Amino acid sequence: MIRTFSALFTAMMIASPALAQSANAVSLNSDVMVERTTTDADGRSQVTLEEPRVVVPGDHLVFVLRYRNNGAQPAGAFVVTNPLPAAVAFQGTTDTSASFSVDGGRNWGTISSLEINNSDGSKRPARAEDVTHIRWAFAQPIPAGQAGRLMFRGIVR
Amino acid sequence: MTSKLYHLGSCSVVALAIVGSVPAMAGGTLAGSTVTNTASVTYQVGGVAQTPPTPATNVFTVDRKVNLTVAESGAATTTVVPGQSGAVTTFTLQNTSNAVLDFALSATQTVGGVAAHGGTDTFDVTAPSVFRDTNGNGTYEAGTDTAVTFIDELAIDASVTLFVVANVPLGLATGAVAEVNLVATGREGGTAASQGAALTETAGANTAGMDTVFADAAGVTDAARDASHSDDDDYTVSTATLTLSKTATVISDPVNGATNPKLIPGAVVEYCIAVANAAGGASATSVAVSDVVPAQVTFTAGSILINGTTTGVTCNTDGVAGGSFAAGTVSGTLASVAAGASRTLVFRATVN
Repeated sequence: MIRTFSALFTAMMIASPALAQSANAVSLNSDVMVERTTTDADGRSQVTLEEPRVVVPGDHLVFVLRYRNNGAQPAGAFVVTNPLPAAVAFQGTTDTSASFSVDGGRNWGTISSLEINNSDGSKRPARAEDVTHIRWAFAQPIPAGQAGRLMFRGIVR
Repeated sequence: MTSKLYHLGSCSVVALAIVGSVPAMAGGTLAGSTVTNTASVTYQVGGVAQTPPTPATNVFTVDRKVNLTVAESGAATTTVVPGQSGAVTTFTLQNTSNAVLDFALSATQTVGGVAAHGGTDTFDVTAPSVFRDTNGNGTYEAGTDTAVTFIDELAIDASVTLFVVANVPLGLATGAVAEVNLVATGREGGTAASQGAALTETAGANTAGMDTVFADAAGVTDAARDASHSDDDDYTVSTATLTLSKTATVISDPVNGATNPKLIPGAVVEYCIAVANAAGGASATSVAVSDVVPAQVTFTAGSILINGTTTGVTCNTDGVAGGSFAAGTVSGTLASVAAGASRTLVFRATVN
């Protein structure tokens, strides 16, 4: 049951009624896969991505957001926001342009620039697993017809 | 591509090194929970904010991860004496699953082999049974802690202290070891006050609903991923080994006095009964000593000294007054004879 990225369906959001009402057809899909590492008899490890059928605490997840500008005009000020499910501990994204919030979306920045309030009133630097929201703000407009992917990793708490 | 964002395919190897260092978590998200990820987008066209598309979502169900640990507590053997009843070894059971489960319990005996805390298993205790630390104080109390065959509805990450209580046979030597194993096996939770059915790992194809995955490590007597875990603990016998010796010394006679006295009628004889306890064992307490005074001598009233010491094989005649004389028999009780020590009972008599 291994799903490859090319097999992801793209037409679903375009066909939705809500989107049909909007003047511009920007679509966004979210998908999650479980990352499993298997070691063969020769000791070589292989990483596979599977559908999230068997998911237990401690499993590694890969979230993939796919966006597409189906309209005729460039889409500017393009911002994708993803609140993290409470049961998922953020484990990082390789995209350095993402910004993060550890307080439910009130303050944003790099993880190292954010702080967590301890119960005794003191503060400590935020860690990846403290992240509550991820946001990607694109500096350039998305040209008409352009598509792309965003990804981040998490672990099931 | 107008953004600086990376494609997934080019970065997955780098990211693996990051996630690989995350420690495993106990318990975790409740089995059967659904996890929904929602992402939204806002954008403008020609500088005008547009109606955003419907947020994108996906859902998965967290499956049931069955995991548990059984661990012997204290990292030391339980020292017992032969014939002891209610000898206790202590274990801890923790439910590290992400579901509430029952746990079946079984205490078994090892036959031979190296015991948990060294030595070789050489005997079996009798009637080992499992008790739950009902009042949670970590100490076994007969009548308070209850005998159990399973733990009912143990919460996620919760621990319970268990005692294996057994009797020790008589006739064992110091250093004899009996090892016991405690095995706990996960059972279906959900029904209070009754042991649930056996757990079954979801076999074959995955299902979209909640599956069951056994994730436990191998225990002392069970394999990995069998919904069971086990550990061992042992009893080590420490007993007293007593040896008795009796010496008689002439103290004085009516002719020579105390100088080179001879055993003539009227001579005073001092008897010393020494009780020696072998080194390496336990103290012997309440050691009752009795000695029939020979008919040819007459007991000297008030001459009994007890709890004296010896130097080598020589009595030191340093005890305290005590003991009793009745019906021609001297008797006394030595309060305690430590391992490797000797204590004496001394009395005098006159040759008829």
